[in-house]
Amino acid sequence: MEKEEKLNDSESAKMERRQFLRLGLYSAAGVLCGSFFAFGKGDKDIVVDNYEDLLKYDWGFIVDTTRCIGCGACVRACKVENNVPESYFRTWVERYEIDSKGEIRVDSPKGAIESFQSDNFDSNDIVKAFFVPKLCNHCYDSACTQVCPVGASYESPDGVVLIDKERCVGCGYCVQACPYGCRYIDEEKGIADKCTLCYHRIHKGEAPACVNACPRNARIFGNLKDPNSKIRKILNQRRYGLLKAELGTNPKCYYIGLDKEVK
Amino acid sequence: MFKDKSHIVRIFSIIVVLGVIGFIARQIALPENFGLHGHYRWEANNQNRALPIINQNSNTCKSCHEGIYQLHGKDAHYNVPCVDCHGAGNLHVTYHKDSLGTITKEQAVMPREFKLEGCLFCHRKLKARPSDFPQIDQDEHYKFLNVTNKGTKCIECHSPHEPVFLLTEVKQSRIHPIVYKCTECHNKKPEKSFKEVADHPAIFECKDCHSSVVKSFEVRPHHKYIDCRTCHLYHKENETTGRIYKNGNVKFCLLCHEKKSFKDEKYPPKIDWPSHIGNLNIIEKSDEKICLKCHADQIHDMNQNTKEDPHPKNWTREHKSFTKDNSQLCQKCHTTNQCSSCHLKTKPVSHVPSWSKLHPESAAQNKSSCEFCHKQNSCANCHKVEIPHPKGFEETHKDVVSQKGKDVCAKCHKEDFCKQCH
Repeated sequence: MEKEEKLNDSESAKMERRQFLRLGLYSAAGVLCGSFFAFGKGDKDIVVDNYEDLLKYDWGFIVDTTRCIGCGACVRACKVENNVPESYFRTWVERYEIDSKGEIRVDSPKGAIESFQSDNFDSNDIVKAFFVPKLCNHCYDSACTQVCPVGASYESPDGVVLIDKERCVGCGYCVQACPYGCRYIDEEKGIADKCTLCYHRIHKGEAPACVNACPRNARIFGNLKDPNSKIRKILNQRRYGLLKAELGTNPKCYYIGLDKEVK
Repeated sequence: MFKDKSHIVRIFSIIVVLGVIGFIARQIALPENFGLHGHYRWEANNQNRALPIINQNSNTCKSCHEGIYQLHGKDAHYNVPCVDCHGAGNLHVTYHKDSLGTITKEQAVMPREFKLEGCLFCHRKLKARPSDFPQIDQDEHYKFLNVTNKGTKCIECHSPHEPVFLLTEVKQSRIHPIVYKCTECHNKKPEKSFKEVADHPAIFECKDCHSSVVKSFEVRPHHKYIDCRTCHLYHKENETTGRIYKNGNVKFCLLCHEKKSFKDEKYPPKIDWPSHIGNLNIIEKSDEKICLKCHADQIHDMNQNTKEDPHPKNWTREHKSFTKDNSQLCQKCHTTNQCSSCHLKTKPVSHVPSWSKLHPESAAQNKSSCEFCHKQNSCANCHKVEIPHPKGFEETHKDVVSQKGKDVCAKCHKEDFCKQCH
């Protein structure tokens, strides 16, 4: 009897376990179904830009290095406009100096935010010298957006490479991927950041802050899809170069008067 | 068929449950509208657009500061946006446009004092700067202008809104006449004709056409320190009249000749402005070339025959206060006894004791000479009637006599004067 009882006991225990499992399964399914409705997106209406409207634009940028005077007004304007951390720059001005022996010196002290102090070589010995403002090239086939593991780096429908600041985890992969050094990690916010072509300005009819600040019209900004735009007309007339075109990133920042020393 | 199907059901149900869990997990993990138009969150585009504009457009500034905007648009800095010198201006604009009161007045004030360094951001002489852009080697510039204090700000001489006082269409001007000389770009004159040099304004030597002016300039003191282009801009190819760079404008002369604390005292000759010409009120504001009126002969021959009266219209009345401080200045043009021709401490020679009887004759001839000393209505003070008598007085004199009495007439007319007619 004792044995039988024990057997009965164990059988009833078995039944309990099965019941428990079944119960657990159902309740899990129920919770999941409930959570599906609770957390699901549903058909909530979100006010977003009209995608089709943005497709009318393809923002492009021209840097006329022959006109740049290296004053750094663009750098200062960008800093203020976008609240860029102190040691980083979304746009900066490089100075190239070549002396009679063919020696090249490139510098950009503090991104030229306080312009340049003096010539690096003896000024009589310099055979050629010029400024090259740099900024994000907003490439058609950008390396930085391809490597982003969370889809935080993306190219907007109107052709601007942007960062989703909520999505970015700050892994820094894109910073390494950009061949032009145009990205940085904002340590305070813990995310990658970069030039947005002042995305908040350009759709309100304003030029990017650097274009707005340039006293020499060395920076030209416009819609490449508009055949009557100033940028299109200039691209049709002037001869321009691209930075590191051999990498196949297909940059959209066109440099007029580019020299072979500029990389 | 199958005695026991439960294990198959179990496996499939587990797969289905895992699938459902996976799907739900993805729904939770993926943010809203991710992948709507690509591998990114569509809402992020909106967020990127929503940021506020900081740097203001110059047109925004124009809507309140129209006057200064127009002024700035006429000179060489026409293309420099307001933000470059005055700062972004977002607080300033929101303070003055919205009355919400989130921004204090102190925050809304725009920077105005220009540091020396601020100008040099653009204008410091650097090899890398395009050669057609005006650049200043500070040492050279201050040496040229005899400025002793190296910390002197550009703003002491150059108004930032009108930096070079250009009168003509500034957008066409290529060369800053003080800073550039041909030899800075050319080692020697181009071998070919100037006209064949591409993209270069045709330049002739001034004396090719203006030989007499250049000759007279070369014997005068200025020629040692400045040349024609300091005051006159080049001719351009298709212009026959010549482009003039505020020649003789008082502001332009003062760049070198105004007495300032940071300048060398002796050289070049300095003057106190505006006390040099007296109270500014007496100088008509439109009179920009006041310097030339006296000093033209120190520059070059300027056809002296056309010299105008240097004094403003109401000078006879105003000159009193001016001459008190600057009597020496008058003597540059006027001889010393010229004052006494009008002003005399004693009575003029002509005013002999019998003058009261004699004066009607000379007063009738030249009444204005009386007014040097006597006030305009001084005749009426004694005569009580209008002198000389106006037209039609013969008919109206009856009223005057009845009002003021016969004594008034008796001052000039004899007693029997009435009887001649009556």
